[in-house]
Amino acid sequence: MNEVLAEIYSTILPSAPYIIAAYALIWLALLVYVFIVMRGMKKSEAQMAVLEEALAERNAKTAR
Amino acid sequence: MASGKGVDVRTAGGVALRKPSTFQQYKTLLRKDLEQEFRTKEMLTSMGIYALLVLIVYGAALGQTAQALDVLQVAGGLLWALIVFTSLLGLNRSFGHEKEQGCLEGILLVPLDRSVVFLAKATSNLLFLLAVEVISVPLFYFFFLTSVSPSESFGLIVAPLFVGTVGMAGIGTLLSTITVNTRGKDVMLAVLFVPLIFPLLYACASATTAVVVGSDGYLDVFFQSLVLAGGYDVIMLLLGWVLYDFVISA
Amino acid sequence: MSETKRRAAKLPEAGQWPDRIAPWMLLAGAVLTTIGFLMAFFYAGPVNGAAVDGVELIGGQMVSSKLLLSQKIFYFHMPVAIVSFASLAFAGYYAIRFLMTKEQRFDTCSKIGMEIALLFVVCTMVTGEMWTRFEWGVWWTWEPRLTTYLILMLVVIAYFVLRSAIDEPERRATYAAVISVIALVDVPICYMVTRLIPSSIHPVVLREGGMSADMGMTVAVVMAGMCMVGFGLYRLRFRQVRLAQRVEAMKEQLED
Repeated sequence: MNEVLAEIYSTILPSAPYIIAAYALIWLALLVYVFIVMRGMKKSEAQMAVLEEALAERNAKTAR
Repeated sequence: MASGKGVDVRTAGGVALRKPSTFQQYKTLLRKDLEQEFRTKEMLTSMGIYALLVLIVYGAALGQTAQALDVLQVAGGLLWALIVFTSLLGLNRSFGHEKEQGCLEGILLVPLDRSVVFLAKATSNLLFLLAVEVISVPLFYFFFLTSVSPSESFGLIVAPLFVGTVGMAGIGTLLSTITVNTRGKDVMLAVLFVPLIFPLLYACASATTAVVVGSDGYLDVFFQSLVLAGGYDVIMLLLGWVLYDFVISA
Repeated sequence: MSETKRRAAKLPEAGQWPDRIAPWMLLAGAVLTTIGFLMAFFYAGPVNGAAVDGVELIGGQMVSSKLLLSQKIFYFHMPVAIVSFASLAFAGYYAIRFLMTKEQRFDTCSKIGMEIALLFVVCTMVTGEMWTRFEWGVWWTWEPRLTTYLILMLVVIAYFVLRSAIDEPERRATYAAVISVIALVDVPICYMVTRLIPSSIHPVVLREGGMSADMGMTVAVVMAGMCMVGFGLYRLRFRQVRLAQRVEAMKEQLED
């Protein structure tokens, strides 16, 4: 392409990595947060299951 | 303790008392702080020495480029950095004594509006800071500004100094009441104080630099910055007044 | 028992109607932001940068300056910043309600609001970083925008440092609420101060300008999407924290 066009588009390729990085990092940050929350959720649900078992055992014992 | 102004109350037991007015309470609390300080002069001397030491550090840091550096441009900012560090030191200690001796519980037992405690503490902090500034600003001038000539509007520096110190005392009192009860008191205060004081610092440093450098149109910058700093002061003092009850009762 | 039930009806709780729509909001938000992302590149026109000698005909228009791609970051940068301010406002609102009622639930809501605010402030800083790195070739300048966001980030981090430094729940919640309220008031001030003071030494370079219609629409789409994402994340985290709190309560009950 001629010189003027080349100059008009001259900033596009050098800036591309920064733009991609910006968007990718946003997505990464949000996904990391969702991941942390999900992990906490799984832990709490596992603990809840254990507690329900213990409660059922105790009820069974007092019923006897 | 209460003389003259006051309110006559009759308690449930039928005893007549004179409940001191709010201003009376404020004066008493303030006098307590000032008297205690004048007896030991502990805080004033430590703050004063600290300011001197910071100036010496500045000397070491900036002495390398004594000629090439345009001291006038950075003088305002340096002065305000000095004031921020000194006030951090002073604010840390302002509640230390109360906490150690258990005076805080004593004050809380008195049936007064907790915000009066805030005002009294803030005023005493303000007075101590102003006292230290009266010493350190001439020292700063002596160390750094005699070789270059600041503009003749240098006297106007008193205004941003006062406005800025009022703001720092206000928000600093509120924050030091919070941090005196936490782990890592000093660092915690710095972590909270510096970001919250930033708008005030920016405005005051800008006003001070405008006055010291005295380039064209400096009065506009000066007044605008002062107005903003004053607005910040008013807002923060109001916030402190409202929130102090929650903080000191916790 | 009925009194706690009556009072509990007024407190925010997990499993209510916001939780039912939360997953859909998250999904809608993800879809909207993706559409906005595509729109940013294919629909909104590129912005003109520095002038160029000579003129070319591109896409039916005479173009005589460099076309900037880096400005595309703006379409995500501004919505993320707005959402961070909004979360800070919500956190402050719940902090005020806590101070008035002393209910721990509001403290939980306030803390989660601050977490979301921190998340979005980090996103804002990152996109801002990328933008300035390319625009001005430096990693940092003491420019109003960057400085304000830095202070905001420091205040939010200070909030969490304070929370971790206190052990008693009541006192921790009170102090944290106070800081949250101060932050809420301080942020607009900070925002205005750096813009209103004419810098006596360096002139401030601002990039605000008019927005053409296609740019405005793109920003609006991404903004709506980001708000939904923020809301969905808030409810998700709230549900998880409530579950953990209920587990703790059960544990204590089973202990005796």
